[in-house]
Amino acid sequence: MAEIFKKVDAPFSLYEVDILAADDESLQKISDELGLALNVDEMKRIKEYFRAKGRNPYDIELQALGQAWSEHCCYKSSKYYLKQFIFNLETDYVISAIKEDAGVVEFDEEHAYVVAFESHNHPSAIEPYGGAATGIGGILRDVVCMGAQPIALIDPLFFGMPETKHSDLPKGTKHPLYLLSGVVAGIRDYGNRVGIPTVSGMIFFADGFLTNCIVNVGCIGIAKKNNIVPSRAGGEGEYFVLAGGLTGRDGIHGVTFASAELKETSEEESRGAVQLGNPIMKEPLMHACLEIVEKKLITGMKDLGGGGLSCAVGEMALAAGYGAKVELDNVPLKEADMAPWEIWVSESQERMLVTVKPELVDDVLYVFDKWDVPANVIGVTKAEKTLEVYFRGFKVYDMEIEFVTSGPEYCRTYVSRKPEVKADTERIKPPSDYFEAFKMILQHPNVASKEWAIRQYDHQVRGSTILRPLQGRINFETHGDAAVIKPTESNKGIAITADVNPWMTSIDPYWGTASAFDEMIRNLVAVNSIPHSFVDCLNFGNPEKPERMGEFVESVKALGWMASALKLPCVSGNVSFYNETPYSAVPPTPTLMGIGLVENIRRAITSYFKSKGNAIVLVGETKPEFGGSVYAAVTNQKSSLVPRTDPERLKTYANAMLESFREFEVLTCHDVSEGGLAVAIAEMGIGASLGAEIDLSGIEGEVFVKLFSESNTRWIVEIRQSDLEDYIAFMLSKGCKAHELGVVSKRELSFNDRDFNLEIDIEKVEKLWRDGLVRFTGW
Amino acid sequence: MQKGEMQKEEIQESRIQEDIKIAVLRIEGTNCEDETVRAFRELGVFAEAIHLKQLYSDMIRDDEKRRLADYSGIVFPGGFSAGDYVRAGAIFSARVKSVLRKDLEDFIMNDYPILGICNGFQILVELGALPGFDEDRPLAETPEMVLAINNSNRFECRQSLLKHENKGKCIFTKNLGEQIVMFPVAHAEGKVTFPASAEKAYLERLIDNDQMVFRYVNEDGEYAGYPWNPNGSVYNIAGICNVKGNVFGLMPHPERAFFAWNHLDYPRNEIDDYGEGRLIFQSMIDYIRKLK
Repeated sequence: MAEIFKKVDAPFSLYEVDILAADDESLQKISDELGLALNVDEMKRIKEYFRAKGRNPYDIELQALGQAWSEHCCYKSSKYYLKQFIFNLETDYVISAIKEDAGVVEFDEEHAYVVAFESHNHPSAIEPYGGAATGIGGILRDVVCMGAQPIALIDPLFFGMPETKHSDLPKGTKHPLYLLSGVVAGIRDYGNRVGIPTVSGMIFFADGFLTNCIVNVGCIGIAKKNNIVPSRAGGEGEYFVLAGGLTGRDGIHGVTFASAELKETSEEESRGAVQLGNPIMKEPLMHACLEIVEKKLITGMKDLGGGGLSCAVGEMALAAGYGAKVELDNVPLKEADMAPWEIWVSESQERMLVTVKPELVDDVLYVFDKWDVPANVIGVTKAEKTLEVYFRGFKVYDMEIEFVTSGPEYCRTYVSRKPEVKADTERIKPPSDYFEAFKMILQHPNVASKEWAIRQYDHQVRGSTILRPLQGRINFETHGDAAVIKPTESNKGIAITADVNPWMTSIDPYWGTASAFDEMIRNLVAVNSIPHSFVDCLNFGNPEKPERMGEFVESVKALGWMASALKLPCVSGNVSFYNETPYSAVPPTPTLMGIGLVENIRRAITSYFKSKGNAIVLVGETKPEFGGSVYAAVTNQKSSLVPRTDPERLKTYANAMLESFREFEVLTCHDVSEGGLAVAIAEMGIGASLGAEIDLSGIEGEVFVKLFSESNTRWIVEIRQSDLEDYIAFMLSKGCKAHELGVVSKRELSFNDRDFNLEIDIEKVEKLWRDGLVRFTGW
Repeated sequence: MQKGEMQKEEIQESRIQEDIKIAVLRIEGTNCEDETVRAFRELGVFAEAIHLKQLYSDMIRDDEKRRLADYSGIVFPGGFSAGDYVRAGAIFSARVKSVLRKDLEDFIMNDYPILGICNGFQILVELGALPGFDEDRPLAETPEMVLAINNSNRFECRQSLLKHENKGKCIFTKNLGEQIVMFPVAHAEGKVTFPASAEKAYLERLIDNDQMVFRYVNEDGEYAGYPWNPNGSVYNIAGICNVKGNVFGLMPHPERAFFAWNHLDYPRNEIDDYGEGRLIFQSMIDYIRKLK
């Protein structure tokens, strides 16, 4: 295609692209050849723009547009629906939502918490260790660039079934256990090194993740409100300082790679799109950035993530109403012979861009130098809203920023899928052997202890973790419902949980998503925190396929429905499409991260039983709802009845629970989710090596429903016998159902009903639960 | 922030004693300095995290230049100094040795205390400051022990129970009796290992010199295997001091058990205001106060 790409006579690699003479076919060729991932309509818009300018573009200009208009950067497929359903909820305590790299929410009079949540799916599927590590790196930058000190990391992970046979792996697919151990090691080695505790997350296995694993990473930070830094310049004539790692060829086309389906050959073709992380550059970079924030030396800060400089410079200038002039010569490189377009779009890690008033530049450079972090002035803001880029004296880029950032927005067609529930023909049967069913549930990797992964993460660094992800008797800990962090001097805490059940969302995107929301609220309430905000990471398949888009729309609708009724603001988030291969698409996976406020951390409630003889109470209603349940999975039954929920009812229950924590000394609380009541009670016992004597006769329905149904809006609490009657009366008076279930006992876990008895020693229960995952991973 | 707490903070600031100054040394990758500094400040003494470069580099501006001699105590905090891509603590200790060897030797010879937590312990070992058998040569020419990779071959984060076994030599545990404390561990390289040929002799020396400080135990106070001993340390060793008792290194993190709220999520008898980790920092300060 020599006639389309014309080498410019310059002492470096630069091509003029003859777009003006190109027909549709050639436009597509140009897009493919340059790896822009833009379609013909989008290319035509670019052609018109340059026709008006009266010249052809350089390769670097087209590359910049490819980045800016990618799904990853401009949310072209999702924006329309997100605006319609989720972004319309305003609450007075939200300081900044959606607009910046992270959401900013009031914590107390003086402080705000900052929260960001992203996917790092494609890189992790290709290179699990590096992909996950740089995922952590990126999310930390999103929080730091707001001027906040990161205080917690959260990572929900999703893989194919661990027992998958190697011979069954589709070509180009890596084994789920290989991916799991690589991803966990990547999070471990990066998160532990930078010294931010990894306190929450989840690991979920389902067949649908076989060819696309999902790696979501979240981060919470804390900042003084008056230190919050915008992601934009402060005025004309300010300097852009690029700080951190060197710029190299790693991570080129990361965003365009993330905006297309993976395929067999992705490994060879896209290995270069995976960035390389360096936590020991990040750690001092964070310190230096926070120091220049504290000293009030800068006007704006933005992290270099997707799209690299090409996205960061323009956005920082335009958001402030200015243009910019950049000298690429001043960007320190890993490799000397990089073409300007490569420098411009490289996603090399550990880089931050700040804007500084000229008189403070020396002070800023000093701080970076002190921390041994390279930093250079690379450009300046200017009044005219254009972006000019120079390289070795040549002007290689000159476009209006507004055009570059005016990415397309699509209202994609979709087909909704609502499973029809035929209650009578779909009758779920009791297990042939209760003991066997319980055993299989306990050791199912989606239920079993995640200790293997959790212990590899430092969840106590910074010395402010109040409730760890593992709670209870030392070395016999059980899972907690939500982690609690104490971010400031005061006794106020932040509770964090991550939730979604892809088995449920794959059967019914709407009710599955509503269930995820319900679970998120339950977990926050269980530790005695008031739900305060949430962020979402929406992982879906190819949005150009109407049925995938349908899953997305249903999911977003459900989120909007639940969030608006509970007045819970969505403050940040991320949409990840194209989690699809020719083999399959991922189950709809709208991962939710919930944030709650704990008024007094000393009143935070844990999930393990406290002492023998105390009363156990079930709060909530149990119905035969088995769609996406572990019970259905282990007994090989199909159900499309995903547990229902109702935001009004959830609100009533959540408020009553929180009030009951003030009225009574509730010793223990645990939400009922995967595996139902039986698993919830087992987990409470495991963490204390105590059993329980449970009488199910007070609950309506069949025994297996009472034990294993995963109905929403339920909790189990432990209280003193002397409080029992009053507690139940209190819950009833609030319009909530509450049943006495039994007592905490010494060793034996027993479930009893009329003509029914299931007994198992807690030590045996613990062993099944604790070995469920490590039988695959090894210890 | 609540009004009451604001006042509390002001009171706290005013009672900070400037005569005792603690330096928490950092380089890239050390990451427990904030909570370590907090622990000292909570006890009313001046403490600050300083970058190693502030002690020697010409590029540091005057107001940020520091001298080791101005401090009455030094802490090497936890973390992954310089990434710990080679043997943990090796890079930090090499850098310290190249620029501060004499200062550090004088510091120890003059009876001032040095504490190393986790990565800090590893650094003290690499420096030759621990086990520190020779009073006249506080930094041995070559390391005499190593904190090797855990038996589990991976990083592990868990609560650990430690039996205090020092008879009075270690100045960092004077406020502890014969008791069992809970400090969390979080490391990949924490297995105390001596040269095989010298293991027996070294252990005997440590005991005879009263340099043994903490050993891992189970809930019943017994020496037990994994996971109570989380790394496979010989003799269940969690922390030791030098022969003078003024250099102390331990793998578990006392700064993570400084407050009672640091461990609300495991069964305990009662809620105090402080956790057991505070005793280490308090003992160190008490010692410095007497030194003055």
